[in-house]
Amino acid sequence: MTNLGARGEASHGARFRVIASVAFRNFKALRNTSLRLSPFNLVIGANGSGKTSLIQALQQLCALAKLPLGDPATVTRAGGSEISFTFDAPYLGVIARLGCVDDAVCDLLRVESVNRADWEEVKVGLATMRSYVFDHAAMAAPAPRDSGARLAGDGSNLAAVLARWQREAPAAFDRLQAELTRWLPEFTGIVLPEDAGGVVRLGLKIGDAEGPVMANNLSQGVFYVLGILVLSFDPAPPAVVCIEEIDRGIHPRMLRAVRDALYRLSYPAAMGETRAPVQVIATTHSPYLLDLFREHPEEIVITQKRGHEAHFERLADRADLAELLREGLLGDMWFSGILGGVPEES
Amino acid sequence: MKIAFLSESPADEAVLRVLVEGALKEQPTVASAGYRARGWPNVLQVLPAVIRHLHFNTDVDTLVVTGDSDDSPVHTAAHDAPQYYHPHCRMCQLRAVFRQTSKRFPAAHGRLRVRRVVGVAVPALEAWLLCGVEDSVNEAAWTEGQARGILPYTRAELKLKVYRTERPSLPHEIACAVREAERHRRDLRRLEYDFPGFAALLRDLREPISEIS
Repeated sequence: MTNLGARGEASHGARFRVIASVAFRNFKALRNTSLRLSPFNLVIGANGSGKTSLIQALQQLCALAKLPLGDPATVTRAGGSEISFTFDAPYLGVIARLGCVDDAVCDLLRVESVNRADWEEVKVGLATMRSYVFDHAAMAAPAPRDSGARLAGDGSNLAAVLARWQREAPAAFDRLQAELTRWLPEFTGIVLPEDAGGVVRLGLKIGDAEGPVMANNLSQGVFYVLGILVLSFDPAPPAVVCIEEIDRGIHPRMLRAVRDALYRLSYPAAMGETRAPVQVIATTHSPYLLDLFREHPEEIVITQKRGHEAHFERLADRADLAELLREGLLGDMWFSGILGGVPEES
Repeated sequence: MKIAFLSESPADEAVLRVLVEGALKEQPTVASAGYRARGWPNVLQVLPAVIRHLHFNTDVDTLVVTGDSDDSPVHTAAHDAPQYYHPHCRMCQLRAVFRQTSKRFPAAHGRLRVRRVVGVAVPALEAWLLCGVEDSVNEAAWTEGQARGILPYTRAELKLKVYRTERPSLPHEIACAVREAERHRRDLRRLEYDFPGFAALLRDLREPISEIS
């Protein structure tokens, strides 16, 4: 086992599984809505409908969970904003509430827990949560060798992470590399030259070409693919991963591979993995990606916005879902407006 | 012979390649681009453009298209009567698209038209893959179940039996599907007998290519 592997499941907390639900009151556009969370969640909806707010709330919970708990008297403010979270078994008795100073900034955490030890275990799991909005320009940049412990939120230390895997988790590196060359068969491998100052650059070998294609000449989509693969093959994955615009820059025909990569996190047993599942919350604007969830509509969350107010709906909660699935493609129905989650038109 | 496939996924195309090779007893030349539809009814939407493209821009002489019947009416011998068209039968719909799209095409690339090879898997391609393994899985059982209002199995159950998981990765799906298709390659008679929707595909494949005389 590698050093990276040793940080693996134990870092989730002894029994931590998933965040079971989140409920919003007066938080941005989410005035009064709640959402049950599954092991895998694909969130769709119009721009500004609350997809990012959901992820921000989870980030804030994780950030505040690292700090001493707030004074209950100060957390709940009359008529104030609040976000509350529940957790799956065995932590059914734990409720975490974020108190907000206004309708956008929540800076106090109150926890209701029958058993204090349960919250301590939940905290350990939450501390591993990661949130990603990949930035191809940042991902292309050289990175200091020692910065590769975890992929940064924008992917900016991608080269250092891969170099670290190559040194310390070669099996994971080899699997990632094999998957990369399956997704993008024009490439034959990853190169990670390091200069005298300990800075790592990223390049990809291409066919019989003499030298690799270095990062500054790779296309945007290649970086997004690499980012997804780093998450998917992480030998020490976090308990919860949030990823925004998971389809960005990726050819529609490759979206099945993207879905598989995310399922590798959420349903490791289905992919022959033996590690603990990772809860995934991903957002997309791609009807093509949505099409791929026809057999698992329970994994789709639609953010509905009317005027200045938004709420969440699970696609599986629709009474007419069976009829809808008989009549066409989910992506087409979303675009048409039947499912909601579309921008308002003036 | 130069063949193109229009399918919903690389796994479906891999299966069709094996079955078509088994039927032809030879390895045909396959058009390099695998044409894809995103599922029903998208296959009906893209099919005219694919036919037109193949006819005028390529030397492909055969287009193989399949779809899953899902919950639609199953094609029967009665549908094959001259001038008959069942508006909800997917076999009838696919054939009609071929007919309507190419009827006014001038000859091109040495053939009058791209040969139509159409099959419909009832209720899904995984039923073909289970043929000979699960005796209860066949087109007649599904049709009878539709008539009684009690389906003998679900599509999800068929997929679970083939892939052993509800969420197969694409490489795993292809590996499982091709393994089952290879069982049929040498002798397609059981598949042909149990699944008339596959037998129709074989009949189309045996039709001569309409070359310019």
